Amino acid sequence: MERDNVMPIVLISLLLLALTGTAGAGPLDGPGAPTAVICSACHGFAGQSQSNTMPILAGMASWYFKKAIQDFAAGKRTSPEMEPYAKQVVQFGLDDVAAYFAAQKRTVTPVTSDPAAIERGRAAAAQCTLCHGASGKGDPAKGVPDLTGQPPGYLKSQMLLFKADKRSPGDAQLKVVKALMATIPDEQLADLAAYWSSVR
Amino acid sequence: MKDPTRREFLWTSGLGLLAAGCAPTAADYAQKSGRRVVVIGGGWGGTTAAKYVRLADPSIEVVLLEPNKQFVSCPFSNLVLSGVRTIDSITFGYDRLRAHGVRVLHDTATAIEPDAKRVRVGNDSLPYDRLIVSPGVEFQWEQVEGLAAAQDRVLHAWKAGPQTVELARQLQAMPDGGVFVLTIPPAVYRCPPGPYERTCQVAWYLKNNKPKSKLIVLDANPNIISKTALFRAAWASYPNIEYRGSNKVVKVDPGTREVTTELGDKVKYDVLNLIPPQRAGTIAVSADLVGADKRWCEVNHLTYESVKHKNIHVIGDSTIGLPVPKSGNIANAMGKISALAVVSLLSDKPVPPMAPGNTCYSWVSDREAIAVVNAYKIEGGKVVQIEQKLTPGQSEMWAQNAVGWATSIWQDMLG
Repeated sequence: MERDNVMPIVLISLLLLALTGTAGAGPLDGPGAPTAVICSACHGFAGQSQSNTMPILAGMASWYFKKAIQDFAAGKRTSPEMEPYAKQVVQFGLDDVAAYFAAQKRTVTPVTSDPAAIERGRAAAAQCTLCHGASGKGDPAKGVPDLTGQPPGYLKSQMLLFKADKRSPGDAQLKVVKALMATIPDEQLADLAAYWSSVR
Repeated sequence: MKDPTRREFLWTSGLGLLAAGCAPTAADYAQKSGRRVVVIGGGWGGTTAAKYVRLADPSIEVVLLEPNKQFVSCPFSNLVLSGVRTIDSITFGYDRLRAHGVRVLHDTATAIEPDAKRVRVGNDSLPYDRLIVSPGVEFQWEQVEGLAAAQDRVLHAWKAGPQTVELARQLQAMPDGGVFVLTIPPAVYRCPPGPYERTCQVAWYLKNNKPKSKLIVLDANPNIISKTALFRAAWASYPNIEYRGSNKVVKVDPGTREVTTELGDKVKYDVLNLIPPQRAGTIAVSADLVGADKRWCEVNHLTYESVKHKNIHVIGDSTIGLPVPKSGNIANAMGKISALAVVSLLSDKPVPPMAPGNTCYSWVSDREAIAVVNAYKIEGGKVVQIEQKLTPGQSEMWAQNAVGWATSIWQDMLG
């Protein structure tokens, strides 16, 4: 109900902004923005990915973003697409770009999943919650990332890479998750991806 | 429900009302009140530039000139030839750009007056503070004897649209046992791997639908110029391809249905796809933005301002001198960089140093793709490549990533 009261003020403010031509702080402000806009070709404006395969970067914890970029740049997390871009981000300032995406308001993927798959995934999700927590939001202290709201295609492809030991091969920290993935049939990975994608 | 929807509603219901009522003309913008950026060309570079100027500073008026009412994507258009995709699936309108406050005029820029800072549109003129020119490429018809007079019959399909659909129709109508000839111009041209992806798609279609048919590729270049080993590996599945390097086509005769190479060889065809040599779009040439070669435009690597005319920025396939391919992804990146540079210059702020990036997928069958990725940095005021990386092979996963890339970048340009 408070929301309803706020709306006219927001409308008037926006119209005033348009009429007076005053530009406030926007999604293109901040030292990381000029580098981050290059990412938007694949990851969406301000990191709000619109596709099924590219992860959402908006609102991503900066510790996780930085680890991912460093691993890509070092060739540890193998990706012919991300390795060059990771080096470019490092070149232009990793801390600034990580801070930029962390500061963007997180949205959830526009890609929807089959409700039946979500339900099957929910029933099988306990195995993930041991590390990622009941909420799926992860645990920064242990280096465990947030699974929720990401595109289902992205979550599934990462689980398949873990299963095949193609994501960061030899990384001791990932031994447990890879051993777990090896026990899960591919169809159930798709269900788990659908479920965690749907969690808000 | 979601903030973007509200914002969009505001633009379309409020400030966008003018545009919604009746189609505006150049005469409606003959006077400007505040700061104005005019963008020529609504392709990969121009749409992105127009949108990002508005995103960076909504107080700047942006007018986009594009004669076509719909945008058809060149990337993924080779899949229309093989019937894997429809033309509708790669065709988009400009309405969502209008929702960002971009004034989209479906008209053609006929001249640029750099001193008066005006773009001529027929008898009208549009004043600007900064101009961004993204005119794509034009064909050098005169480079192939007989081509200029046969433009309506000899298809390039190198600007996605009606020619793509017509070439697909000719391919489908070709009798089994027929010869499809694809000719590739000498580098530099739009989309270096494009002709080789097209080779894969035509060969895949013929293999599955007309197994007695053959595809002859006449390449003016001595060898495949992009993703060479990956394409060679993919072509192992297509024994119907006959590739001839260093075979520049210099003459076409639609009457006898044959092309002639520089070496004097005559090659008969049932269906011909002749990709002509290219130069910067016509407006870039007539406005004296091209260099001594009369083909391409040199620009500042940080702002994309023309080295020949102040306050005019050139982006996309028309540019030369940067170590980048002529790709949609590069044009999209140049669109953003030039937009932020223009906004900074109009606000007397320092231009942020930004480098483009390039992600380029090629489909080698109906379900598998390969890719090349290039990253860049700025060194001594110039764009310098950091690294180029290729996929280790072809796979369905790269194809899925290609779909993700296309979905994202189309949205980045037009959404």
